[in-house]
Amino acid sequence: MTCVLSTTFCDLSLHHAITMTQPPRLSSSAPRTLAEPRYQRPHRQRLDRLATSVITAGAFAVLAAILAIGIFLLWESLPLLAMDDMALINSLSPLAWGTLKAALAAMLFALPLALGAAVYTAMYMPARQRTRIKPLLEMMEAIPGVVIGFIAGLILAPWVERHLTVTLVLLVWLPASALVAGMLWHALHKRWRQRLPFSSAALWLIPWFALMVLLALWAAPLAEQYLLGEDLRRFLDLQLGIDYATRNAMIVGAAMGFAVIPSVYALAEDALSDVPPALLEGAQALGADRWQALWKVALPAAGPGIFSAVMIGAGRAVGETMIVLMASGNTALLSASPFEGMRSMAAAIAIEMPEAAPGSSNYHMLIFAALLLFGFTFVVNTLAETVRLRLRTRLKRMGGGA
Amino acid sequence: MTRIWPWLCAASVALSLFMLGLLLALLLTRGLGHFWPSTLEVATLDSGELIAGEAVRETALPQRDGKERLYFTANRDIDGARWRWVAIDSIASRQTPTKLLRLQRGPWGDFIGYLSAYEDGQQRLEGEAAWQALATALAAPANTRPPATLVLETADGQLIRQALADIHRAQRPNAMHPGEKLRYWAHGVWQFLSEGPRAANTGGGVWPAIFGTVLMVIVMSVIVMPFGVLAAIYLNEIAHQGRLTRLVRIGVRNLAGVPSIVYGVFGLGVFVYGIGSSVDQWFFEDTLPSPTFGTGGLLWASLTLALLTLPVVIVATEEGLARIPDSQREGAVALGATRLETLTRIVLPMAMPAMLTAVILAVARAAGEVAPLMLVGVAKLAPQMPLDGDFPYLHLERKFMHLGYHLFDTAFHGDDVQAAIPLVYATALLLVTIVLVLNLTAIFLRHYLRRQRGQPC
Amino acid sequence: MNSCATSFLLLRRPVHAISLSVLLMLALTSANAMASPVSGTLSAVGSDTMAGLILRWGEVLSQRHPDVNIQFQASGSANAPAALMAGTTRLGPMSRQMTDTERQAFEQRYGYPPLELKVARDALVVIVHRHNPLAELTRQQVDALFSTTRECGADAAINRWQALPATRDWPFGAISLHGRNSASGTYGLFQQRALCGGAFRPTLSQHPGASAAVAAVGESPGSIGYAGYHHLTPNVKAVSLINADGQAIAPNENSVQNGDYPLSRYLYLYVNAPPERPLPAAEKALLDLIFSPEGQQIARSAGFVPLSETLRQQQADW
Repeated sequence: MTCVLSTTFCDLSLHHAITMTQPPRLSSSAPRTLAEPRYQRPHRQRLDRLATSVITAGAFAVLAAILAIGIFLLWESLPLLAMDDMALINSLSPLAWGTLKAALAAMLFALPLALGAAVYTAMYMPARQRTRIKPLLEMMEAIPGVVIGFIAGLILAPWVERHLTVTLVLLVWLPASALVAGMLWHALHKRWRQRLPFSSAALWLIPWFALMVLLALWAAPLAEQYLLGEDLRRFLDLQLGIDYATRNAMIVGAAMGFAVIPSVYALAEDALSDVPPALLEGAQALGADRWQALWKVALPAAGPGIFSAVMIGAGRAVGETMIVLMASGNTALLSASPFEGMRSMAAAIAIEMPEAAPGSSNYHMLIFAALLLFGFTFVVNTLAETVRLRLRTRLKRMGGGA
Repeated sequence: MTRIWPWLCAASVALSLFMLGLLLALLLTRGLGHFWPSTLEVATLDSGELIAGEAVRETALPQRDGKERLYFTANRDIDGARWRWVAIDSIASRQTPTKLLRLQRGPWGDFIGYLSAYEDGQQRLEGEAAWQALATALAAPANTRPPATLVLETADGQLIRQALADIHRAQRPNAMHPGEKLRYWAHGVWQFLSEGPRAANTGGGVWPAIFGTVLMVIVMSVIVMPFGVLAAIYLNEIAHQGRLTRLVRIGVRNLAGVPSIVYGVFGLGVFVYGIGSSVDQWFFEDTLPSPTFGTGGLLWASLTLALLTLPVVIVATEEGLARIPDSQREGAVALGATRLETLTRIVLPMAMPAMLTAVILAVARAAGEVAPLMLVGVAKLAPQMPLDGDFPYLHLERKFMHLGYHLFDTAFHGDDVQAAIPLVYATALLLVTIVLVLNLTAIFLRHYLRRQRGQPC
Repeated sequence: MNSCATSFLLLRRPVHAISLSVLLMLALTSANAMASPVSGTLSAVGSDTMAGLILRWGEVLSQRHPDVNIQFQASGSANAPAALMAGTTRLGPMSRQMTDTERQAFEQRYGYPPLELKVARDALVVIVHRHNPLAELTRQQVDALFSTTRECGADAAINRWQALPATRDWPFGAISLHGRNSASGTYGLFQQRALCGGAFRPTLSQHPGASAAVAAVGESPGSIGYAGYHHLTPNVKAVSLINADGQAIAPNENSVQNGDYPLSRYLYLYVNAPPERPLPAAEKALLDLIFSPEGQQIARSAGFVPLSETLRQQQADW
């Protein structure tokens, strides 16, 4: 038999398949109940038809359930058409703005980290290390939103308020310190460079960052005293007139960005590692260094895949509920300041939906908000998925041609 | 430039891992540290006042230089507060007396002070004998304890009487050696996992929440698996692979990206308000206006989450089905097997690992979801388990507790966040552990089975 | 795709089948459950403020009658009338009185008014950071701090600590506001009593729970907020309010119980009690407990202010 992938599974199953399709004349002596040849075929076929229809019915039930979501949301937001447009716009626009602001902040935080990580794992990391690091990063996705929201809202937000200078300094200093580490590394003796190879920089940079955080914790308050002569928050407030809310877009961005990183990372990494190695080798053979090959060849080739990763991430950020609910302060503001809070549609639904009496205008409005979320994520994801599928076929063609 | 970017890319990996590590370390230390019996101290203030309690944290004073320290002083029945902020420069001296006692009590929360006497009707014990008697009494099961009274003395000399019946645990942490502390810690962790919440969710354990989460997830799997697998089989084995099927497939994948709160809205509108209310009107008219199914409950929550995890199951199962080489199916068909026989004997056994992965992924997703549950049936406190000894044993209409919601509730709705935060950490750690273990199982399962098959991973 | 309409029915059918079979089983056993004297499940939906109270009463109740259980969904007072109306619960704890529209809607639905019981006393307190020197506020000042409309008659909005005489030297400039989200009775009551019905500023941080609002104020020295009296922690300081006679009244047990403190209030429990049918035993046991001296003592241990003795006895036979 052609059971090349010889496993117990296929052995067994084929064995069964064979015994049961044995010619009927043998089965008269076998202990099987389907002994009579005349009855066997119609019975088997009836069973088969039954099974097919059960499967089809199940599939259509699933499809119907999916459609039902859209139909229900549409149907329940219809009464809004009779409502005053202005009231609707007035109550929805801060929510829509808040949703976008939160998503934008999250993407600003997540994209550099996720894409950078994807490039590094796909292009620089040895295969062995990659199989360990990738699941670890994807594991971040498993941390429930409610846990991240709790940490962000009750622990991180007050901490950042007390250590605003340190936080802002860290935002700039941590990436910069990586460059400092790079410079130091290039200046190192060759023997040391071999001990700390660039291909495992992702690991030995972690203690470096821990050190840098400690350094910032020590130095930032001193610098604050020296440069500003007062507390940074006070400076922002008195000199620049900037309000600072404890739960603000910066906190939400970091927390939700943390939640979005893994999904963007996973998809972008897949897209990059799907680029046929022959393309990169070709570029390098023509004299490009690794980064040039990546920048000029791999990125354009994987571009649509990265685009779809970004889209999926945006969809996730728009719909995330618990993090925004717990860390945003839920202030229905139309402000663009990163230091002020916002209120998102998902959070508004979670807080107000149980309170809204069915049939009331608030109920319909919340359902409309849900419809917007549904529609937005559906469109964004469809776009991402189509682009991704198209890319896959394109890369296959490229890989085959090379 | 070509030298800078690679370093920044390496830094992003390192930073992501750093943040993940920081988060997990925070959860681990705070979550598990909560159960460790911490040292109690007596601080003498410049004014001569004595404060007994546990030093919790320190912050800078807002107006002048210096710091202040937060003490957990307990004894809410005596001075009306559980906490006390003390400016550090106003503390004259600090001691850690070994006789200092911490009691976990019923209505008024903890007590910190000294045990002055133990009275059980016949005798009055004092000093070390009283402590021995208290320890023996607490070691016995709650219903066999003698009806005794404790005379307690606070650090500043006030005497109160306390019935033994209201006391859950007693410790003298300053007198404990590390082994005893470890035992006490393990016992605390066990109580947290196995007991119900106390005092309006500010103390006690999370057992009903664990139970509710697990039960909800099981009911959900029972609902979602057949439908998900049927749909996957249909899409992969039966449907004509045309444009429409491809469209449906994309649609299903996209559902995985639809925000969970949208499913919650659907569940509330259709299951609870729609189906639930009509069911109540048809079958439970005598109990109206008390709703039976017309309110959020286990069934509706499971159904909502089943809908939410449907795409996960379909996608994972289909992936498994697509990996089975067509030659296998063709071989079976060539031997005269019908479609059903091919399915049940060849395809499904081979896709079993994929289905297993699917159910684990679905469970992991569902265990961490909170937002939709807030709309369709989770309760702040539901001591009545949805599964019990009363016929019909499984009560699908009951509300249930959920770990994720319990976390949100203790953190935001409790009486006193300060007191609740350690418990929230512990709950968060438990939730993260459960979800991570489930996900890791799925990853390893997939990896192992694929390798066993010789398929590419 | 024309099979969509029929397939929609296909989806709903299995759902029905599952629930119906379970429902039938339940219907069979409901007769058994009625037999034992005090048993059953009390489910309550409503005020988050009263969660601690209801749960503590529930704990004592289930200690006394092991077959009685209480389920509580704390999502804000506005949810109580909605849940009572929708029939999703029979007990609606509310931290404010029902509005006329809510009451009328209930009467229209059921044909009788809900049973209204005052179960404890509480107050709304204006809180600031524990080190804030602010000691007292007039009604106009509170309004000027929290609202955009200034219905209570203040001349100018107060945005900065320097605008208040007591906090001229407080080294924090802009005032950040913290409170509950709009579903809570606390939000509604504060709006009605402290803002004279005006509108909150949009910059108010609307926390999903009262204790989160208190914690937020305790964490950040430049903020002011409001919460229920029982949520007070040593991280924050309650500000005295100046009443119509010009006296500064601090919120404490006395001033809250006799109503001197301007923002004190009753906490209500609304019961859907059809006049022609007696209350189920479990509900009756809960009400008996609430209006017993012990029940009021439990309210005290939860941080609330008990009812005055006369009011307790008045309501003891509800």
